[in-house]
Amino acid sequence: MLLAAGITVAAPLVGTVVLGMGLFRSSPRIPAVVSAVVSLVSSAVLTILWNIGPLVPVEIGDRMGGGSLVDIDGVTGLLLPYVALVHLAIVLVAPRRFFDIASARRILIGSGMTLALFCTAHPLAIVGLWILTAVPTWFSIRAMPGGRPVARVYCIAMFPAVVCMTLGTCMLVGDPPWEPGSGTIGNVGGWLVAMAVLVRKGIVPFHSWYPALFSAAPMSTALAATMPQVAAYTAMRLLVGHADGVGWELIVLSQAALITAAYGAALATVQKDVKGLVGTLAMSQSAMVLAGLSGTVAMELNGALCVWISSGVSLTGLGLVAWAIESRAGSLSIESLQGRFRDAPLLAAFFLLFGLAIIGVPGTLSFVADDLIVSGCLDDQLHAGLFVIAATVLSGIAVLRGWFHVFGGPVAIDGPSHGILLRERVAMLGLLAVLLFFGLFPGRLVHSLEQAANSLMNESASSEDHLDFHVPAIQ
Amino acid sequence: MSMQDGIYYLVVCQLAAPAMTFALIGLPALLGRPLSEQATTRVVGAGFTSGFMAALATLVTLGLQGFPSQVVHLGTWFSVGHHAATIDLVADGLSVPYVCFSTGLCALVNAFAGKYLHREPGFTRFFLLLTLFGTGMNLMVLAGSIDVLFAGWEFLGLSSALLIGFFHERSNAVNASLRAYTTYRICDIGLLTAGVVVHAAVGSGDFGKLFSGTWPNAHCLVSTNVAVGVSILLVFAAMGKSAQVPFSGWLARAMEGPTPSSAIFYGALSIHAGAYVLLRCESLLDQAPAVQWAMVVIGSVTALHASVVGRVQTDLKSMLAYASMMQSGIIFVEIGLGWRVIPLVHVVSHAILRSLQILRSPSALHDRHELEAALGGHPGSEAWSPRHLLSERSQAWLYRLALERGYQDASMVRLIVLPVRRLFEFAARSEERLIMWLGRDPTDSSRGGPK
Repeated sequence: MLLAAGITVAAPLVGTVVLGMGLFRSSPRIPAVVSAVVSLVSSAVLTILWNIGPLVPVEIGDRMGGGSLVDIDGVTGLLLPYVALVHLAIVLVAPRRFFDIASARRILIGSGMTLALFCTAHPLAIVGLWILTAVPTWFSIRAMPGGRPVARVYCIAMFPAVVCMTLGTCMLVGDPPWEPGSGTIGNVGGWLVAMAVLVRKGIVPFHSWYPALFSAAPMSTALAATMPQVAAYTAMRLLVGHADGVGWELIVLSQAALITAAYGAALATVQKDVKGLVGTLAMSQSAMVLAGLSGTVAMELNGALCVWISSGVSLTGLGLVAWAIESRAGSLSIESLQGRFRDAPLLAAFFLLFGLAIIGVPGTLSFVADDLIVSGCLDDQLHAGLFVIAATVLSGIAVLRGWFHVFGGPVAIDGPSHGILLRERVAMLGLLAVLLFFGLFPGRLVHSLEQAANSLMNESASSEDHLDFHVPAIQ
Repeated sequence: MSMQDGIYYLVVCQLAAPAMTFALIGLPALLGRPLSEQATTRVVGAGFTSGFMAALATLVTLGLQGFPSQVVHLGTWFSVGHHAATIDLVADGLSVPYVCFSTGLCALVNAFAGKYLHREPGFTRFFLLLTLFGTGMNLMVLAGSIDVLFAGWEFLGLSSALLIGFFHERSNAVNASLRAYTTYRICDIGLLTAGVVVHAAVGSGDFGKLFSGTWPNAHCLVSTNVAVGVSILLVFAAMGKSAQVPFSGWLARAMEGPTPSSAIFYGALSIHAGAYVLLRCESLLDQAPAVQWAMVVIGSVTALHASVVGRVQTDLKSMLAYASMMQSGIIFVEIGLGWRVIPLVHVVSHAILRSLQILRSPSALHDRHELEAALGGHPGSEAWSPRHLLSERSQAWLYRLALERGYQDASMVRLIVLPVRRLFEFAARSEERLIMWLGRDPTDSSRGGPK
């Protein structure tokens, strides 16, 4: 498992080195795709080994704050293939003019560091990688023509988040609030980490940079920065695993996330362009993950992990389809009917299918995810179910409005229709296959989710000698 | 093989036949190699015919035994902790006749549409959506739990909206589709919330925990409060799908879709989906007399509205749409009055008649023109109508009211849709302004912010 994890993390970094050596100057996609495939295969091997093994986490290095430097458990086994798949899809679909050596290197470095982050539970390592994963995004936005204002906004959001995260983690580790006799420092640390998570996940009221990132940055950057959900992983390792000490922080995160889920979906219904649509939908779905994670009931945790994967895969698909269309037809407004159906019928089909996969249509993984998260809410916070329903309903309206406005209406261009490239088709079919296969046969995945949630909770319980996982009830 | 085993396989066939057909058409299309027109209609025909035969066999088998309620447990879809998502179907005196007639109608419409849509660019898309609809309809009708019912309900709404927008190059079709889907989606809140309430109350979505006994004499097993709450939510959900006032504005516009889909959706099956759900949960409604009376009022208002508005329509399909709405309103009244078998018979007979009328409508116009040309004028004198009892001024007022659809749509848009939309747009604009302000270059004093 350790070897598989090592290959998973190293493959994108090796790809970066190869590109840095000046090899494949004219075709940077080749090393990028090869390294992403190697990463995906080795992460899949890791997942299989974890599931057929004794389910004992592999830990290397000093243990601090409940986590080791290398910590491979159910969560890692679940999320590594997901992150690798998202990155593979991005490098496959990225249009040629957005995929020069510099951008390929940025994607691969970001991929390697994100995968490394998902292999550790050590608080200081998490903080370090948390900061490093934010840097390529900033460079990428700045490199875009007219991207400086949004790069500035990104910086304004991320700088305080980094400060809060660093200080908060140090305080949390120095004076763990979940240990008997802990003082105020640890509590303040918990709140600072929660604040950092709110900002990095784009939760109301710190959300504005999130859709702006989708509007200004290349889709590859926006997807690579948001879909792995680095902040959700951080919250899971630093806060959710210690709910006894940071219960109120989790409640605040959860409530803010629920509001964001509904608010993001509401914004999605009135977006003017397709990038804004993807951005606001991503904001809504990402918030739903945090809402589930912060619920701290096992079922909600399962639901959150499932939404994490389902929304990530479907939003990646939707974003990449939108990007593929925009690379052919230019910026796409959804204020009026664009009539692109005849222009790109297969892309229209993929857009619709990924859109439906986001909103929880039966037969897709998101239906299972919504079922789990709503069922989890019944045990913990009934009102959360209503927020999830509101978000789902509004997202549905937004997706269909987006689809009809992009593809419906009188034919805009009288010319040959745009086909779909083989690499695009492979990527989109692959993502769709994941959504449909696990949507129709979710048993195995849900079992893995349960194991992942249990491993997280058990680890926390064993390290802190707590077997009871409880947060104050919401009045 | 015991009778239970036989029923099990027959029910599975009713569900699997359209679902497999959907996959058989959809997969090649997604790979860029759609089936030919002939192959498509044959595959779809075979799928619906198999489903119909299976439903017929189930009907006969159950009918010989007096329609006992047979629960078919397809298995556990997934389970986690104490939560298990089971797929339970119910074959009884309500579901089996309904599947029989819905699958039969789908098979007939398939035969009609194969010719009607010949060489139409969206030929495969139509049949794909028809099979999705067939799958959803059977899933909804056979559902043994509110979760399974919701899955089928979603397929219905989705396929309906996409078929209204089938002629996507027409702006009207796209706008009508969005209007219908938005109405469905808003009313889906009722069904989704009902699911949450049922799960919270009995710990499962199984109908067996909500009511017991054989339809139409099932007994409610939950408290009155839960029954009333769930009834309100189900009625709200049903109002959207069944085009009851004030959610009826989408129906006439839905006729923008191809005639075969209009026939099966808005003349026959989709329009009655709400009524079916209410019939399925009739024992809950019995515990909520106030909700039943509300249904009577809603149904009566809908019937009256549709009757008046339908009379001033200038095209045949719109007229038929309002006729459907009127019957749907009457069915609501019947269910609200506590009747069970009469609404079911009404649904089936109305569905058959109306789908025939809608399918016949394009050729009926030609026939009418030919008749008028042959006679050299309008055939026959104008029939007596109750409007003759009204003064001319009242007639003019009523005519204007009907022409404006009772100002129902305009009021909904002005009082609800626009304020909500303006609120969302205000939020979106505020976000943009905030980003502009945050992203301004503080060193560049010559400009107010980023361009």
